[in-house]
Amino acid sequence: MTIKKPSGDTSHLYDGKTVRSAAPSRKKAAGQMGIGSEIPKDAIPEVEIPTFIESLLGGPLVPKMKFLPPDKMVQNLQIGVYGVLIALALLTFIVSPEEGSIWYMMTGSLGFAFIMQMIVIISATVAGFWGTFQRDARFSIASNLLFILAILRFASSKVTLSNDVFGFSDSPTMLSILVVVYAVLLIMYFELSNGVIRYSMLDTSIRTNEVYVMNPKKIVGKYHRSLILNPILATIMAMIVLNANNILPFIVGIFSEDVAMRMEESVELISVYGVALGTLFVFLVVGGLFALNLPTHLQNYRENKAE
Amino acid sequence: MWSRKSAMLGSLAVSMYLLGLTLRNTQLVTIAVVIFVFLTWAALFGGHADVASTGRRADEWKGEEGAALGNVSAMRKLSSARIFEDGELDVTLRMQNHSSLAKILEVRDRVPEVMRIKKGSNYILMELGPRRETLIEYTVECPLRGFYSLGPVAVRIQDAFGLFHKEKELHVYNDFLVFPKMEDLSDTFVKSRVPKIFTGAVNIRQPGPGSEFYSLREYFEGDSFRAINWSAYARSGKLMVNERERDAVSDIIIIVDSRAVSETGPVSRNALVYSTRAAASLTKYFLGRRDSVGVITYGNEVVSVDRDTGKKQLYIILTKLSGAVAGGNIPLQVVVNRIMPHINKGSPIIFLSNLEDDPTIVNALRDFRARNFDVTVLSPSSLEFEFDAKRLDRTGYEVMKTERDVLISELRGLGVNIMDWEPDMLLSTALAGARGF
Repeated sequence: MTIKKPSGDTSHLYDGKTVRSAAPSRKKAAGQMGIGSEIPKDAIPEVEIPTFIESLLGGPLVPKMKFLPPDKMVQNLQIGVYGVLIALALLTFIVSPEEGSIWYMMTGSLGFAFIMQMIVIISATVAGFWGTFQRDARFSIASNLLFILAILRFASSKVTLSNDVFGFSDSPTMLSILVVVYAVLLIMYFELSNGVIRYSMLDTSIRTNEVYVMNPKKIVGKYHRSLILNPILATIMAMIVLNANNILPFIVGIFSEDVAMRMEESVELISVYGVALGTLFVFLVVGGLFALNLPTHLQNYRENKAE
Repeated sequence: MWSRKSAMLGSLAVSMYLLGLTLRNTQLVTIAVVIFVFLTWAALFGGHADVASTGRRADEWKGEEGAALGNVSAMRKLSSARIFEDGELDVTLRMQNHSSLAKILEVRDRVPEVMRIKKGSNYILMELGPRRETLIEYTVECPLRGFYSLGPVAVRIQDAFGLFHKEKELHVYNDFLVFPKMEDLSDTFVKSRVPKIFTGAVNIRQPGPGSEFYSLREYFEGDSFRAINWSAYARSGKLMVNERERDAVSDIIIIVDSRAVSETGPVSRNALVYSTRAAASLTKYFLGRRDSVGVITYGNEVVSVDRDTGKKQLYIILTKLSGAVAGGNIPLQVVVNRIMPHINKGSPIIFLSNLEDDPTIVNALRDFRARNFDVTVLSPSSLEFEFDAKRLDRTGYEVMKTERDVLISELRGLGVNIMDWEPDMLLSTALAGARGF
């Protein structure tokens, strides 16, 4: 393989000439001597030291990648985020009355606590909207943190509502469902807002040929299915875990009805410690399954079954 | 493995759970439980196998990929195993799913950093159906010489939310060689004032094995019957044989400096890159002229390719030049002392070096000249590379340039044909400058 020279005829380099040993760059540089010996600015490499927060998160908070205009998938996700965001803001307001809020704990003023709680919820909502619209992860993270701040309760174990239009307070089951639905919405909001960023990155990578996606419809379809299935399953499983105070006495009742009745009436089991006990019980089982490497066995089973 | 997202969610859940218990708040515990459930579900059915739960470290865990990736295999095919710099290499990666379950896979075929993807992509997200295979095709551009290897193929499978993933490296490697690119020098020499640059050592006008007629002489016992000139025999009545002229072959020795200092400058523009390209071009030219060419590279050690002719020799030399790695600091004098007894007196020697950081250069080249070797030095200027890359301030450049000019003048005084080869200059121009055409 040979280099293509700009011109095949190089005779002018030799005919009646003495070939210079100095390239123009050197002569030009020599002519400029005396200006100074400072190191050119662009010769100093840029060193980016991550901030404390960035190092905690494992990377830069601000993505360097500029997204291309959103495709249909991203637009649908954005619409989904807006819907979930409105529902979440409403539920956050309902399930986090000002009485147990951090603001009330600090100031003791209900009015101030109400205003602060409203500011936090509205800020979380606005930041969420803006972050999703602009596809800026910083605003989305800020929104997530503000929602977590809004739900931090320093009240007793009883679930209280700031606005009980539908009379949920009268039914412990409905209260429980409301809180579970709220929690699922919160997780879905985290996931969807993150999904907007992830799929924007993917879409941009596809369009800039950084990544090639074969059969994108199937991949997107799997995500859509998960967005529907996972919250439903999470709700069902969470309800089972949270109703351990009913399930445990039922199991015990098979062996001894007296003990089961005493368990049902015990303060410990229907309090937050009962929930904790149930959670501990369930997750010990789950932990045990993981320790036995259940996921791998499950996968093996699926593979073998498919054979 | 846990992703950063799942780790954050897990931490949040644990914090809320503990805070909920401390404050006796059911809401916080409920939210924590929902997050736990969400994570557990993704972990169980996202194809996750938690290594940590088994108490084994990730690097000790040989079966980390689990069953999901156990049935995925890869094969790779390259369009060529040898290409030249700036050449393109077509890669075809065949991904196979031996399982009866469809899998959504992220596949990244690892390409050496210096290479650029010209067409297609080495990073693919795909759904691979049951017992199906797919071909991934892409083209890489190889701008720098060297021995390279494509692979391994990294395959990743993860749940839809990107919470957990499993990775597997398929150890499929394909080695290939990138030769230094060559400049066509034939035009340069044709248009120069003398037909060949090195005439001194060429053994011409001597009888010997060859193809051109030289003279007639009487037949002696042992001469081949095929060499008998029957016409001359008929004329003179004596058995006469044709003598042929020995082919005009000269031994060219090319010395390439591959010490650590030769790599001063940007990766793609430094003395070693220029030297290897020049050595390759010169080798091609001289071998094309049926000369015998030997190459010596020195850095960590002295590596030599013995003199020989032919196309095979070209590939042997190109392979050596491709593998020349900057390192070490062997002085030129050591090289000269080692090779001097083995080269024919008067052979042309071409030395390619940036002439830096070696106080023995003057003495070594003086030794060559003292034994009447025709020495040509092409010196790619590391200063220019550094200055152009703005890594050298102007004062430093000027001082070092002056030192370099003094050294070049000294060598020129020894009768060495030397050229300060600057980055923008074509090899043919630099060579013409060195030989004073």
